[in-house]
Amino acid sequence: MWTNWILIGLLAITTYISRIIGIEVMKGRKTSSTLRLYFNYVPAGILSALVVSQLFISKDSQIQISFPIVIGGLVTALTIKISKSFLPSVIVGIVSGLLIRNL
Amino acid sequence: MNMTIRTIRTGISEALPLAIAIAAYGLSYGVLGIQAGFGLVGTVLMSLLVFSGSVQMVTVAMITGGAGILSILVTATLLNLRNLLYGAALAEGIAPAKRWRWLLSFGVSDEPFVLGISRFKKYGPDPIYFATVAGTFYIAWVSSSLIGAIIGNQIIDPQKWGLDLAFPITFVALLVPNLTEKPIITTALTGAVITVILTVLFPGTPLNILVAGVLAPLVGIYLKEKNKNVD
Repeated sequence: MWTNWILIGLLAITTYISRIIGIEVMKGRKTSSTLRLYFNYVPAGILSALVVSQLFISKDSQIQISFPIVIGGLVTALTIKISKSFLPSVIVGIVSGLLIRNL
Repeated sequence: MNMTIRTIRTGISEALPLAIAIAAYGLSYGVLGIQAGFGLVGTVLMSLLVFSGSVQMVTVAMITGGAGILSILVTATLLNLRNLLYGAALAEGIAPAKRWRWLLSFGVSDEPFVLGISRFKKYGPDPIYFATVAGTFYIAWVSSSLIGAIIGNQIIDPQKWGLDLAFPITFVALLVPNLTEKPIITTALTGAVITVILTVLFPGTPLNILVAGVLAPLVGIYLKEKNKNVD
């Protein structure tokens, strides 16, 4: 049992360190315009990576694409482009994903 | 003061859809934590102290599979590497919090990063917004872990309710409005392509998102600089 407590402690420490380092390194630093541009583009890269990584599901140790997520994502993208409102687009996307799953 | 209250209200309403999905994930973690033998206190304590869905899920899965502490720590460190990038990108937006940044940095992970960075891009640095969002997720995560650990196997199926769709779909809704100019669109496409390639070549690697996040913006910068020279 005590190994569990040690594990929890070590995970807490390493995770916290990974969170504070980036902030401490960059805070108050005058960033060059290129670095500023870089961080301006980071969200787009990360967001699309996070979305795409969740399109894949592993089933019976094989990688498959989740169609409810693909369709839900496309519907959301289209809805937010047209309506420009956040929450309704998320709801429409989830509902259409659910419909695809249950049809 | 009014401004602060308005910020907090905005933060809670924008965090809520994701908080519900996080809670569904937290319920499953709670159940798995008990099954992995962490006990009620250990399962909840891990949520209180670590506050990381991916790290905690991988930990309980690896413990159940009989892995040792060292291999779990190495995997957790790989998973955590992307926090370095998140922290660096969020630094300017959190910096006005001064010493409170030590507490705020505890909230640096996927979802608070995504909401925080979109807010900072629109309205500039805003530690109160970040604190609200991260705090909402923290409450959702810890309380749902506790409930999951108590109710054990009596769990609703998140898939049935479409809660597994909430993360990718919210992220799509946050990403799409930003795709206004070529370099950003190219960055997003590059991120997507890198992730597909890495997922096919090395399925399940925790480094996929970090690699995409580090490399994709370089393509965006290249395009931007090239266009500038043409002008």
